[in-house]
Amino acid sequence: MRSERARHNKIIFSGTVGAGKSTAIAALSDIPPVSTEAVASDETAKLKRTTTVAMDYGVLNLPDGEKVMLYGTPGQERFSFMWDILSEGGIGLVLLINNANPDPLADLQGYLSAFKDFISSTAVAIGVTHMDSSETPNLENYRAKLAELGHHPIPAIFRVDARSRDDVAMLVKALLYTLNPGLIDA
Amino acid sequence: MSRHSILPGQPVTALFLLHVGSMDARLIGLSVERHWKHSVRLASELESARVVLVDCDRPGVEAAFERLSPHPRIGVVCYAFHPKDHSQRFPNRVILGKPLNLEALPSILAKAAHDSARTIAAPSLRRAAPLTQPAPPTIQPGSEEPPRVPIVTPASPVPAVVVAAAPIVQAELQPQSGTTAAPPVSAPQADPPGSLGHGVQTDDERDLCGALEDLPAHPVHPLPDKIFFNPDNYLIGHLQRAFDQASSTGRPHLIAGLPRLIGVRLQPASICVTDFRDNQLRPLSMAQLPQTTARIVSASTLSHISNHGTTWTTEDFFWNVAAWAARGRLPEGTDPYQPVRLRAWPNFTKVFMSPHALRIVALWVRTWASPIDVAARLGIPQRYVFSVYASARFAGLIDARKPRAATVEARTATPTQPTTNAAPPAQQQQQQRPSILSRILRKLLNAV
Ligand SMILES: Nc1nc2c(ncn2[C@@H]2O[C@H](COP(=O)(O)OP(=O)(O)O)[C@@H](O)[C@H]2O)c(=O)[nH]1
Ligand SMILES: [Mg+2]
Repeated sequence: MRSERARHNKIIFSGTVGAGKSTAIAALSDIPPVSTEAVASDETAKLKRTTTVAMDYGVLNLPDGEKVMLYGTPGQERFSFMWDILSEGGIGLVLLINNANPDPLADLQGYLSAFKDFISSTAVAIGVTHMDSSETPNLENYRAKLAELGHHPIPAIFRVDARSRDDVAMLVKALLYTLNPGLIDA
Repeated sequence: MSRHSILPGQPVTALFLLHVGSMDARLIGLSVERHWKHSVRLASELESARVVLVDCDRPGVEAAFERLSPHPRIGVVCYAFHPKDHSQRFPNRVILGKPLNLEALPSILAKAAHDSARTIAAPSLRRAAPLTQPAPPTIQPGSEEPPRVPIVTPASPVPAVVVAAAPIVQAELQPQSGTTAAPPVSAPQADPPGSLGHGVQTDDERDLCGALEDLPAHPVHPLPDKIFFNPDNYLIGHLQRAFDQASSTGRPHLIAGLPRLIGVRLQPASICVTDFRDNQLRPLSMAQLPQTTARIVSASTLSHISNHGTTWTTEDFFWNVAAWAARGRLPEGTDPYQPVRLRAWPNFTKVFMSPHALRIVALWVRTWASPIDVAARLGIPQRYVFSVYASARFAGLIDARKPRAATVEARTATPTQPTTNAAPPAQQQQQQRPSILSRILRKLLNAV
């Protein structure tokens, strides 16, 4: 494992189109998030007008002046070549899964596999969004899927509303404690 | 029970709820009706009471005492979260700690009534001097001597910590507790929306997780009783029974007999529905509810509650209700030296988060370890781990079936020496270099 000093201070947000990456980053960021939205020329444009097809980022300003970048990955598969480059040196992954998608458990599996190397050298925390409108699958179904995939340690997985800063911050806190349960917080 | 039982021939104590929140009033009313018929009756007015009950955490307590001044022969029993703080304000009052010990209350009320009836006291001396008034001339500023007034105080005023470990009737936590604490339950502002698990501050810690001393790192027998709670005496026990009956019959079940309803339904999704408000659930969960207080009944539907109630997943609901009952204790029968593991993270965006809960869970999902080990490895008091254990047990998140291979892991990871100065590996790492992770965490904790 690389030393923390050598890492860029950045946290990666990934997940399918419409899962809430841009919203989550906006909720947490201390600056208005910058979005480099490309014009969505394909089906996603119809799916959701403001969806992230390029990448967006926000910033957490730490009291000592240091900055932590919050990067959203492009949601579309055809941009997945950027994921490795983006996540290079990152602190960890916040993965958002849209429960309203047709097969969110398959989305989960796909993203965990795409970020396999990154996760194994860092950590992941998973937020299931849109559970207010789509109740199934439930957390227990997700946990069963994670168990089937044999992830160790068992990742944090919460019901999340990407519009809630508390929810998004909870994901990041879980990510940090997964990296180091002994973290000093006071 | 026998310790606190009412002496034969003792009259029924007429109790007036002089200054008490509506939830307390209901629960005390229920207790009178079901358990104390022969020892306590509720008086409808102050004049016909022999003893009154005063919640010192509610605003307006001075005014309540004013009402008492023409009635020196009426006994007064106060209660508060932090009795010590109030004992300075009201030096001669009997102040019990919250949560109240239900078993003991009838005899404490009877004694207070009895003692006051015997005392012929000057009203002006009986009245507690509000802080704004000059002290009576007999008291020198800074004097060690308590003021001498002709009132019989109980031999041992019950300290908060002692009472808190006992069965309880009612309590509410004050998120920003201070001298001007908001009243329990009945006050709409008593519980801000975020307080169901976030931003728990140190001032509240003893109410959330008690004040139990750590057990030694190596097994001791017998284990002290006070580290355990009996779930059957709390809402969590009733809930568990409702759950068990719902799963064995396939039908929704209700907990009836409480001021409001709680329903459990397992199909199609496993949920709890209640028309208790969120800020009532915590005191109710902390309250001692003997088995006979509530009954479990079968229901064809829960729609009559769900229309105006709150819906929870059973897991989240059980997590919270168990945490509030446990207050840093373990369910009876738990072996605190037995390695277990969490099979999943609880849903921390919704459930109650006791101090250190995140780090405890982060460690416990990856390692087989006993509650005692977890505390030692993280360098935190055991009561915080007990709290998480109790919640996880009832939420169904404890995995106790350790595979053979894991034995080795747990053994090697278990310190063989007492761990007082052995910082957990993670923490040692932490001390060597200032961590960006810590700083991000601090930022999130302060800002959220
Ligand atoms: N109802 C609901 N809407 C959500 C939730 N999370 C995010 N959204 C909304 O979903 C939409 C898509 O979010 P966005 O951040 O643009 O998704 P992205 O493509 O991952 O960047 C936005 O309108 C959000 O406000 C949720 O949990 N519930
Ligand atoms: Mg986006």
